[in-house]
Amino acid sequence: MTETTTTEPWLDSNQKPYIQIVNVTKKFGDFTAIDNLSLDIYKNEFFSLLGPSGCGKTTLLRMLAGFERFTEGRVLVDGEDISEIPPHLRPINMMFQSYALFPHLTVEKNIAFGLKQDKLPDNVINQRVEEMLELVELTDFAKRKPGQLSGGQSQRVALARSLAKQPKLLLLDEPLGALDKRLREQTQFELMDIQEKLEVTFVIVTHDQEEAMTVSSRIGVMDSGKLIQVATPTQIYEAPINREVADFIGDVNIFKGIYKGQDEKGTQLLSEDSKSIIYATQKVDVPVGNRIWFALRPEKLEITRKLPEVDCNILKGKIEDIGYGGSFSTYHVKLKNGRQLTAIRANRERTAEHHLTWGDEVYLHWAPHSAVVLLS
Amino acid sequence: MTRFTKFNVSALVIGFTFLYLPIILLILFSFNESKLVTVWAGFSTKWYVELMQNQGIKDAAWVTFKVAFISSTVATLLGTIAGLVMTRFGNFRGRTLFSGMIYAPMVMPEVILGLSTLLTFITLAIDRGVLTITLAHITFSMCYVSVIIQSRMTSYDDSITEAALDLGCTPFRTFMLITFPIILPAIVSGWLLSFTMSLDDLVIASFTSGPGSTTLPIKIYSMVRLGVTPEINAVSTILVGLVTVGVITASLIGKRQKQQLAQS
Repeated sequence: MTETTTTEPWLDSNQKPYIQIVNVTKKFGDFTAIDNLSLDIYKNEFFSLLGPSGCGKTTLLRMLAGFERFTEGRVLVDGEDISEIPPHLRPINMMFQSYALFPHLTVEKNIAFGLKQDKLPDNVINQRVEEMLELVELTDFAKRKPGQLSGGQSQRVALARSLAKQPKLLLLDEPLGALDKRLREQTQFELMDIQEKLEVTFVIVTHDQEEAMTVSSRIGVMDSGKLIQVATPTQIYEAPINREVADFIGDVNIFKGIYKGQDEKGTQLLSEDSKSIIYATQKVDVPVGNRIWFALRPEKLEITRKLPEVDCNILKGKIEDIGYGGSFSTYHVKLKNGRQLTAIRANRERTAEHHLTWGDEVYLHWAPHSAVVLLS
Repeated sequence: MTRFTKFNVSALVIGFTFLYLPIILLILFSFNESKLVTVWAGFSTKWYVELMQNQGIKDAAWVTFKVAFISSTVATLLGTIAGLVMTRFGNFRGRTLFSGMIYAPMVMPEVILGLSTLLTFITLAIDRGVLTITLAHITFSMCYVSVIIQSRMTSYDDSITEAALDLGCTPFRTFMLITFPIILPAIVSGWLLSFTMSLDDLVIASFTSGPGSTTLPIKIYSMVRLGVTPEINAVSTILVGLVTVGVITASLIGKRQKQQLAQS
């Protein structure tokens, strides 16, 4: 029997989850930080908890590390209930948002700290520290104190320190929050490489949706102590389950209206904006006359000056604003009723012959399969 | 714009003269040849030599040193614990009362503090001596230590402690290996402050001292009543020197610590 490795273990019912969070509730006085939350995370996943500040994502992470006790529920790691185990006995390591380096110890000693607690022999510790320094490319900085490091270097030391004990599960609390954009993007890829190389399960907390999309195998979108949707980045982006998720991840155009039934082109929506019927391929199972929404990502909205040769989903408007972004441009188009839509077009040609400009009358259209139908 | 205007310079000179002229005079006259305190008759260190032969002053100095050392050590221990409790245990029941009680000796008039400790010792039938002075000094210097520790702990990142726990360190070892070394400068400066405060306390010591336990400030005070001698100037100079060293060291440690914090 060979063990099958799958890239999407959550779809395979034979796979056993590595971390099981079962009906966990956390209350601070009257405030419910985590509300009856259940979640399975699998081995070698890079799982992101994404949500606005105060949604409970950090609390959930701290509960996994053992710094917060939960009011109800339990947490299993590899089948073992860890709810009652104090933090220093858990086989889990955490990388802190503030890095929390020990200011009085050198980089080397910071990394060695966890290994020393396990009473490992000196030569093993030295070897492991060296490996870790190499992994994060800080060999030359071994003798420095944290006060003499830049933000990016501190971040690497923190990562090396939390990985030194070779934990099976690493928790990362906004690990890249303090870095500037360029360094953050570079570090995201490094994190992914390290995660793959060491085969560690990563659970990361972030409020940066781009970061979550880039690094994760799956994303859990949280709000008010609840998980709203748990899915792969693609699913979260292309098939959000409600307006909240659609709006939180990326830009989106939402069309509000009344469900008018199905025909051969798909689901019909009487749009409040255009007062006409617009279409989405996705089918829904609600009574005719219900209020439903279409969500459409800006890059799926085609923008043209000529009337497009399609038989549905055409809206007319005027360009209000153009945001030039180098590789793409963002157009804000105002419809007749004053509603503003956002469209993104890649700038494929250096000098656009027929480029669009402010005040142009344009047509917007989209393929019915590009729109997502939302019921809430 | 120059910082050295006439007004600024004269303000500086007058200010420093006002503060330090008396002390400078005291130090100068301790090296006076003449027995007459106010008449300069040439440089000499003979009063220091005489001081060394004065058994009463030497005894008082030894008592003072013993009291200062023991009281500042115990006060540092208790004050550190109090400071840690105040900053790390959140809002426990009776926190406000406890914090008020820690601060009380700072604002209470010394006379009242001295009187109340005296009454306590009499009620408990404890003979006044080195022990009672030490206990009284612990009481009032502990609050200063706890204030210093508290202010250090407000800038202490709790996730450092959590990181140590997370890496498998037990809570006690975490305190010894992480928290203690980080706040050590604050503890040392608290100790130095308590030490100097115990060294130059007169009021509380005079309430709580007994026969055979005269401290240096009490000794000086009683000698002055019989007239100021160059000998007193000499012993005072030594005391001023000790206190100055203590306070400067404490403030240097504090300064270095601030710089370290600014770096990290």
